[in-house]
Amino acid sequence: MRGRIGWALVCLMLSGTVFAEPYFAVQQGVKCVTCHVNPTGGGMRNAFGDTWARTILPAHTIDTGGGEEWSGNLNRFVALGANLRASGSYVDTPHQQSQSAFDVDEARLYLELTAIENRLSVYLDQRVAPGGSNNLEAYGRYWSADHSWYIKAGQMYLPYGLRLEDDSAFTRTVPGINMTTPDRGVEAGLETTHWSAQFAVTNGTASGSENDQGKQYSARAEYVLSAWRAGASYSFNDAAAGQRQLAGVFTGVRTGPIAWLAEGDYVTDDGFPEGERKQLVGLLEANWLISQGNNLKLTAEYLDPDNDVDEDEQTRYSAVWEYTPMQFLQLRLGLRVYDGIPQNDLQNRKQAFVQMNAFF
Amino acid sequence: MRCMALAAAAIGLVGCAGNGDGLDENGRPIQGGPPPLTATFDSIQQNVFTPICTQCHIGAGAPLGLRLDEASSYAMLVNTPSVEVASLLRVKPGNPDASYLIQKLQGTAAVGSRMPLNNPPLPQATIDVIRQWITDGAQGPSATSGMASPAMRGVSPAADDILAAAPQEVLVQATTELDTTRLSTDNISLIRSGLDGSFEEGNEVIMKPLRIEVRSMQPTVVALMLPKNQWVPDSYQLTIAGAGPAPVTDMTGRAINGGNGTTGDDFVMHFEIGGTL
Repeated sequence: MRGRIGWALVCLMLSGTVFAEPYFAVQQGVKCVTCHVNPTGGGMRNAFGDTWARTILPAHTIDTGGGEEWSGNLNRFVALGANLRASGSYVDTPHQQSQSAFDVDEARLYLELTAIENRLSVYLDQRVAPGGSNNLEAYGRYWSADHSWYIKAGQMYLPYGLRLEDDSAFTRTVPGINMTTPDRGVEAGLETTHWSAQFAVTNGTASGSENDQGKQYSARAEYVLSAWRAGASYSFNDAAAGQRQLAGVFTGVRTGPIAWLAEGDYVTDDGFPEGERKQLVGLLEANWLISQGNNLKLTAEYLDPDNDVDEDEQTRYSAVWEYTPMQFLQLRLGLRVYDGIPQNDLQNRKQAFVQMNAFF
Repeated sequence: MRCMALAAAAIGLVGCAGNGDGLDENGRPIQGGPPPLTATFDSIQQNVFTPICTQCHIGAGAPLGLRLDEASSYAMLVNTPSVEVASLLRVKPGNPDASYLIQKLQGTAAVGSRMPLNNPPLPQATIDVIRQWITDGAQGPSATSGMASPAMRGVSPAADDILAAAPQEVLVQATTELDTTRLSTDNISLIRSGLDGSFEEGNEVIMKPLRIEVRSMQPTVVALMLPKNQWVPDSYQLTIAGAGPAPVTDMTGRAINGGNGTTGDDFVMHFEIGGTL
């Protein structure tokens, strides 16, 4: 079993033919900060990001008749953004009645208020649906004059690994750092021509109130070239409920029309009732840009939920067609196949979905 | 197209799922296997909380501090206020509709997403079993040590925790049902060290007024609360008497064992606020 895990990891981490979403950045050969307000990606797009989503991403662009185009900036000091995901899904779980449902997956509003242009701003990411409103990110950020470093304080998503859109990916759920688990603290970042690095000190409570003396320390560093990028992440949460350590590597490679992403993470957590548990997760993803506005995403994921227990591994395979018919609108049609131990029905479900994502 | 075929082949190398040999439904080595899902806490813990909820709600990173592992879930759910909507109890015995747990599982909560997050909703039949457990009074785990005298355990904070800030409350759980009519400040005391980290110097400070709230009966979960301004950075010692004139006992009159198995010993637990001592 260990040999197979090792082979999977080697494939994930080293092979040039192994590929993985921040795939836009890999396709374009740029860093996350090129298109996002947040240097670590995700959330509100900046003026360049909105312009790219309006002109380069879609299969067709609806002509607005020469009127003013959306760039997110109401003026030099106030910028807005929004994101809505609504879906219909069908889930087939062995020995259970199949489920089908329409859902609002999430609706988010973004606001950036700039007090000193390009230097000092306040950023808010508010989830307004489904259910009531709750805040996900709220921080103040200061940029150096040459934009080579920044510091932010408040509530934020932690820097770790590839910031995939899909929070249900094993590499997002098992490390527990994703866009549903922000934390409160301070983050410092470095942005040079090829390097993007961050270090954060936070409560380690996933935005809950601080309940112990320990803190969570998270670091991420990425080296970015036009055709490829590679990076590493580390996080240590010194919590009363148990110490949790994450270590991971990730990469992105562009080969012609395909953008590949790969990530592998090793998680140790001694907060489990039986003591320490070691977990291993991996992701490999290929994004084939079939034509402008058409992307086919194939993803394979691996999870070993306890390294000391044999034959408990899980995999998840996904195929998602992403069609962007016009600016600021994407339709996604996908199939996910979960494969786990036969005793657990949920680990062997199949899911089909269609999703609409409006973003600007 | 050749590139995509290569991509598909490479992705296929990621690995295979385990065959589950020797494992139970939760992927743990077989030790009897979980019972069928029934409206009891043990069954719900083993069929729902452990295999599904503890994918996230466990250990240091448990969202909103809500841990749903076997050792923590009962005390953290039953009669305990929700963090997201403080006016609601996570589980209100006898009233599933007013229980925040049910609202989160049914997707009707006022805040946040439906649980389990990023997984398909629980089948309605499963939710109905949990509703039934709540309707039946949200009874606790079955006693595992029928002959042993009752023992106590700190749930939040746990023994020897170092807290950065004052706790909302001190939550302790017994292994069985206690005679709660005996619980009082005569046999439950909370003192702080007097800023020297020691409890033998004679300068200790008795924390009061200490409010004792029984959260559940079987097993007994007790929350101890103080006015917020009473908490200061210091070492704290919680003592629940198993000896003396007014010991804490179970319903049969057996005194608690303090954790070492000897009936009639005091339960003593320490924790610290500030971490400077």
